[in-house]
Amino acid sequence: MTTPAWLLEREAGLCPCGCIGKRRKGSFVEKTLNGSAGLLRQVMFSDDLAHRPGLLQRIDPRAKVIGFLALLVAVSFVHSPWMLLACYLATLVLAGISGLPVVFFIKRVWLFIPIFTGIVVLPATLSLVTPGEVVLTLWHWNGHAQGFTAQGLRAAALLILRVAGSVSLVVLLTLTTPWARLLAGLRGLGVPKMFILVIGMAYRYLFHLLTSVMDMYEARKARTIGKQAHDRTARRFVAATAGALIGKSHYLAEEVHQAMTARGFRGDSKVLKSFRFGTVEVAWFAGVAVAAALALGGDSLLVR
Amino acid sequence: MSADPLLVCENLSFSYLDKFPALDDVSLEVRSGERLALLGANGCGKSTLLKVLDGLVFPGTGRYFAFGQEITEDALEDEQMNEAFRGRVGFVFQNSDAQVFSPNVAEEIAFGPLQLGLSREETTQRVTDVLAMLGISGLADRTPFQLSGGQKKKVAIASVLAMNPEVLLFDEPTAALDPRTQMWLIELMAQLAEAGKTIVHATHDLDALDRIADRCLVFGEDHRIAGVGTPSQILASRDLLLEVNLVHEHTPLPSPRARSLPHGHLEGL
Repeated sequence: MTTPAWLLEREAGLCPCGCIGKRRKGSFVEKTLNGSAGLLRQVMFSDDLAHRPGLLQRIDPRAKVIGFLALLVAVSFVHSPWMLLACYLATLVLAGISGLPVVFFIKRVWLFIPIFTGIVVLPATLSLVTPGEVVLTLWHWNGHAQGFTAQGLRAAALLILRVAGSVSLVVLLTLTTPWARLLAGLRGLGVPKMFILVIGMAYRYLFHLLTSVMDMYEARKARTIGKQAHDRTARRFVAATAGALIGKSHYLAEEVHQAMTARGFRGDSKVLKSFRFGTVEVAWFAGVAVAAALALGGDSLLVR
Repeated sequence: MSADPLLVCENLSFSYLDKFPALDDVSLEVRSGERLALLGANGCGKSTLLKVLDGLVFPGTGRYFAFGQEITEDALEDEQMNEAFRGRVGFVFQNSDAQVFSPNVAEEIAFGPLQLGLSREETTQRVTDVLAMLGISGLADRTPFQLSGGQKKKVAIASVLAMNPEVLLFDEPTAALDPRTQMWLIELMAQLAEAGKTIVHATHDLDALDRIADRCLVFGEDHRIAGVGTPSQILASRDLLLEVNLVHEHTPLPSPRARSLPHGHLEGL
């Protein structure tokens, strides 16, 4: 084996005059991948939370799914913003009792609401969409003040609070139930086991493939000098990564199937965990019934 | 070790997509209680042979018998035959990520026994026992992406051991493991062999060969068997190992003194 001469020479390093190059912000791809890595860390953290000793963590996942479903329905029938606010505060109390860091819980819930709900309800707050008493004038049209109306703001607050309450309930369920137990709980409620198996595996391998994508991107980044182009080269890289990932996924899927076959899988999956309803679950159902009754009863008094 | 052959391959040939040969006229016997090492360079067909032995792929030509029964795709369609065969042969894949597919470790280990029809109580007991045996009881509720490479390998082994198979197939078990986990695995394989398990494994690890194998089968790059012998005989055949591209001409082969050192006493090396 002969080593080429260029391989024996040292490449120029930093400029000897000590000048510093231009700094550039990370690309969209880099930000997305960093976000993905963050998501991975968050999921691991969430799984630790689900194993903490707390009120909601002790309840059978089937009971939890049914209970939270009932609470979601109750929240969707509440029409008073004050009652919705009370429901939201109650979820914060539940989060605290279950050992969840309340600030993390609030951030988790409010991360999506301004993006998904705020943008949707924003036009409804304007007098153009919801006519009524203008509380903040933005412009005049034909001598009439136009802007945010009290009716529009009330409707927006109602929707945002309802979404916040509902999302909080779902986040409470997912943060206090390990993924495996949640799937087993759904299985216990009669969701077809093949469906559960497919979801479970999709979730498991999503993270595996995410790691592969991050590895590929980091391998490219390690060999990229200077500015990363956002042109045809970048698009080619994304296309090549997607292609390589499809190939990898296909190979992995084949191996996973072989690994399942090797252990006796013949299309009918069985799970280990079996659940039993006990005193805790009875107390939980009673609590859910009382909470739903209070929310609906209080709401009817407030909106009267 | 008894002389009964448990697994018998007669003139096996296998090609991927009918284009890329992986096995060419391979015949072998695996006897009960034997530890057989499959040696060969990358891509010589070791992993394919293990998959044939586990009834996951089927040879294009030739025949394969396990426990006196011919193993074919058709034969494994039979529910009883499938259950009996899968229960007696366990396969630890090289890629633990492919093998650890369940949402958590306990469910992963329980998968095989439950598929074989064991009750939940018995399966739970087996899961507890195997976790304790491999020293990974603390991982029971972990999800696969929270495990390191070594931990995933342990879980993969536990998931196969829980089925209590008679024959264990390992595909490059020590690959990509740190030295400590490698040594742990070698000792586990020795322990399993002492317990009467038949072990067939594909490996490149020549240093531990005489501790994990009674007999070696060397594959050539032409996908044929190039040599058979005891670990000492194979390690003494430098020409054979060079011919099959398993070692480089400058690779020092393990000395008999180093190989004869007992477990955990490597200071003298």
